[in-house]
Amino acid sequence: MELSKALLGALLLGIAVETSSCTKDESKNVTPANNGEQVQNPAATPEQPDNCPACGLG
Amino acid sequence: MRTIYSGVACNLDADILQACYPLFEASKIEAIEWSFDALYKRRNIPDWFLQLLHAFANEGRLIGHGVFFSLFSGRWTYEQQAWLKHLSKVSSAFRFDHITEHFGFMTGADFHSGAPLSIPYTNTTLTIGKDRLARIYDACGKPVGLENLAFSYDIDEVKRHGDFLSKLIEPVNGFIILDLHNLYCQLQNFSVGVDEIINLYPLERVREIHISGGSWEDSIIDIGRKIRRDTHNDAVPQEVFALLEYAIDKCPNLKYVILEQVGGALHTQQSREDFAADFLKMSAIVKQAKGLPPETNDFLPKELIIPALVAEDEELHQQQTELSEIFETAAGYDDALMRLQQSSLANSDWQIENWAPYMLETAISIAQKWKK
Repeated sequence: MELSKALLGALLLGIAVETSSCTKDESKNVTPANNGEQVQNPAATPEQPDNCPACGLG
Repeated sequence: MRTIYSGVACNLDADILQACYPLFEASKIEAIEWSFDALYKRRNIPDWFLQLLHAFANEGRLIGHGVFFSLFSGRWTYEQQAWLKHLSKVSSAFRFDHITEHFGFMTGADFHSGAPLSIPYTNTTLTIGKDRLARIYDACGKPVGLENLAFSYDIDEVKRHGDFLSKLIEPVNGFIILDLHNLYCQLQNFSVGVDEIINLYPLERVREIHISGGSWEDSIIDIGRKIRRDTHNDAVPQEVFALLEYAIDKCPNLKYVILEQVGGALHTQQSREDFAADFLKMSAIVKQAKGLPPETNDFLPKELIIPALVAEDEELHQQQTELSEIFETAAGYDDALMRLQQSSLANSDWQIENWAPYMLETAISIAQKWKK
């Protein structure tokens, strides 16, 4: 599927500042949007502690 | 005409995203699967990741894959209620094409600490599973599916798994994810051929296939035996690609084929290139799929009544708690076996007397790996 050049550019910048999700370092977890704005995370709930995304649970 | 989309399991993980980026750039990725319940404790999510999710969602190619609901927990928990609320919320924010979860119950006293392990196939577990799937559908309003489990205690369980899945999803007119690496684990760990097992699954209800890599573990109690585990930490074995070629034409309602790998295994440039090569190989197999008739099932329930009372079973809960505690604290196989024989699981529907010793050893290893 074709993604817009703007999204690809944002993705590239975002990956550069994004932390690996398996870290437990909370200080790295607050990541600004590429335009500097903080976006409310629709996936965040207070009940959800950190865990390893998409892990192979075998 | 029906299209099968080649996609990746894509989460907010720098290593996964870096591995996927060249494929995004080349417009090769046709769908993404997002584990909507597996984000870190972060209140804010980068705008660019939301845009990525919406880009696929707007084309009807975003699928949600839950990890932590614990479908077969005997006791209904506050965390499960919160999980459903969360699912409802993300389903409003993102247009998912469907929602899936894993088979099994999560070991561990804490909701997010553990790994999914199997359950006895009884009327009690069937009732609980159907109840939970109905509630998942009620929360998301999308087709609901379940993934086949990689781990089984014995060969009889492997052979009965497909039939039990079929009964579970019937009321929600659901579908299954046929995880071919999970199937590969079963074939290897119980020395059976693919023909003996694959037709025991409801293949007309496969809407999604997963492929991934995994690892081998040496058994300590059965010297020379290697156990295949679904750890998602390596490239896809050739045998799993062969399973994909074999299975793809047997699944008339297949819509997605997804490549999974954990970010922790994608740190190096070489591993990322291998990931991209695996994706392109998978995509080429998908494109060769022949004679794709239109989908015959929309996988939406015609009529579904959500029971006012949540199905629960206290005895099952106690057994799961006891089993988790033994697995998580056992000093080894002998200790676990002795404690199981003295537990409420002895001479019960769990049929612990039939469990393959090396799979009991593996269950201990899995539970202790994911215990926090």
